[in-house]
Amino acid sequence: MIQLFGVSKKYGTFRDALVDVSFRIDPGEFVFLTGPSGAGKSTLLRLLFLEEPPSAGQIIVNGRNIGVLPQSQIPYLRRTMGVVFQDFKLIGRKTVFENIAFVQNVLGLARVEQKRRAYHVLKRVGLHHLMNAYPDELSGGEQQRVAIARAIVNEPTVLLADEPTGNLDPVLAEEIMRLFVEFNIRGTTVVVATHDVEMIRRMGKRTLTLERGHLHDPDRARESAPIVRDAPFLPLS
Amino acid sequence: MPRPRYVVGEAWSIARSSPRQTAAAVTLIALALYVPGLLALVSHNLGRLAVSEADPTAVVLTLEAQADARAVAARLATDVRIKTVRIVGSDAALERFRRAYPDLGAALSDLKEAPFPPSVEIVLKPGSPARTATEIAAAARLWPGIDSAESEEEFSRRFRDAIALVRNAGLFLGAILTLAAILSVASAVRLALDLHRDEVGIMRLMGATESAIRAPFWLYATAEGFVGGSVALGLLYGTYRFATHWLARDPHPVLSVLWVGFLAVPTALLLPAAGAAAGLVGSLLSLGRRQTRRVTRIA
Repeated sequence: MIQLFGVSKKYGTFRDALVDVSFRIDPGEFVFLTGPSGAGKSTLLRLLFLEEPPSAGQIIVNGRNIGVLPQSQIPYLRRTMGVVFQDFKLIGRKTVFENIAFVQNVLGLARVEQKRRAYHVLKRVGLHHLMNAYPDELSGGEQQRVAIARAIVNEPTVLLADEPTGNLDPVLAEEIMRLFVEFNIRGTTVVVATHDVEMIRRMGKRTLTLERGHLHDPDRARESAPIVRDAPFLPLS
Repeated sequence: MPRPRYVVGEAWSIARSSPRQTAAAVTLIALALYVPGLLALVSHNLGRLAVSEADPTAVVLTLEAQADARAVAARLATDVRIKTVRIVGSDAALERFRRAYPDLGAALSDLKEAPFPPSVEIVLKPGSPARTATEIAAAARLWPGIDSAESEEEFSRRFRDAIALVRNAGLFLGAILTLAAILSVASAVRLALDLHRDEVGIMRLMGATESAIRAPFWLYATAEGFVGGSVALGLLYGTYRFATHWLARDPHPVLSVLWVGFLAVPTALLLPAAGAAAGLVGSLLSLGRRQTRRVTRIA
């Protein structure tokens, strides 16, 4: 569960990236975070996985007030979350397998188990044949899928994605969104930041809209989420 | 704590990603440790000359070949200022030399005559006045059968001072050069950190702990220092081998004494150990809290 109470984020004295944002996302929910460029979507995601601290307010993730989390505990919080970045953030000198397995490597998981898990998640994103490839040998879509595989390999309770389809063609974007829906059905809370209104409309999921750092009618957004019965993004069986 | 295999793998990866910087840091450390190592070797060999006895010899009387050493010793024994009189025969002097310089002793084995004349060594009673040794030597020079009589006190003092000077110079130079080595390692680590800045940021975002991020850099720098120290040791041994080889062909009265033996194993191993320590300290300096915070913001 994610809860925000009066969260604000200021950069410098004058720039308010987020202003008094409050909302609640229940476990297992799929939520879109939308708004124009500069609305505060990425900032909100950065606050959720503590890349930056909020200037004011409280953020509760899985029952923990992450604003008061000691510095030493932040890595452990991050391991409970999967994050998909718009620019993928893959490590160029590591193979696909190493990019996915490195946290498990740090934790001392047996290499066989690392390989098993990496293979499993890569198979889910359809890239199990590219385990030994380097990121620069992959297309943009493949890199994005590797980033998704890395985000889910630790079986996170929360999956955050920042414009995960921003650089992809519509077919690939659809494929990526289908993956997110699949993870969500398996119980992962998914928060996707995007400005693709058409996709949000087709997906028919709850949407939180940000504009200049302000959240628009969050309660109403929850109540009025349209239900699209014939949504094209059905989970893969 | 991060898994050792991961730390070793990452450290190796860091070293491979910046081979020039790694080589430069290793070279600097090697040079920084070679110089004090050289001085340690010289002082080690000089130290063999300084007899560390409880009762240091104050006066040495060198006897003529036909002189009666026992008679000279008996005459000295009547002097109340003298504690002990030791008679050192030619064979005993040669044996003593061989013990002090095992490598040079073999060269003397071909001699038909004993190279060292017999002598009498005098040890003074504790608390004797400063000029006692000089007075006894001056009086003994007039006795029959005495070839020469030398007061050792002044020489011993100066010799010990000279050795102490070499050792202190080695320590001083060693301290300065080790500081330079630490700074060069710190620079190499900082450079490596800059090269991996994006990567460190990504690792942090993926949930890597600070120890998991820093440990490979610590190991990289420690290994760099260890290799540098080992290279310094290798260079030092190479210098020693070259010098002994060269001096065996063309002996020199002073230089030969400086290259008689190599450092004892525990002393020699101090070089790689000091290199590793310098590397670790350098990495701790460059991976300070401020540095890693800066990286967090950049990431």
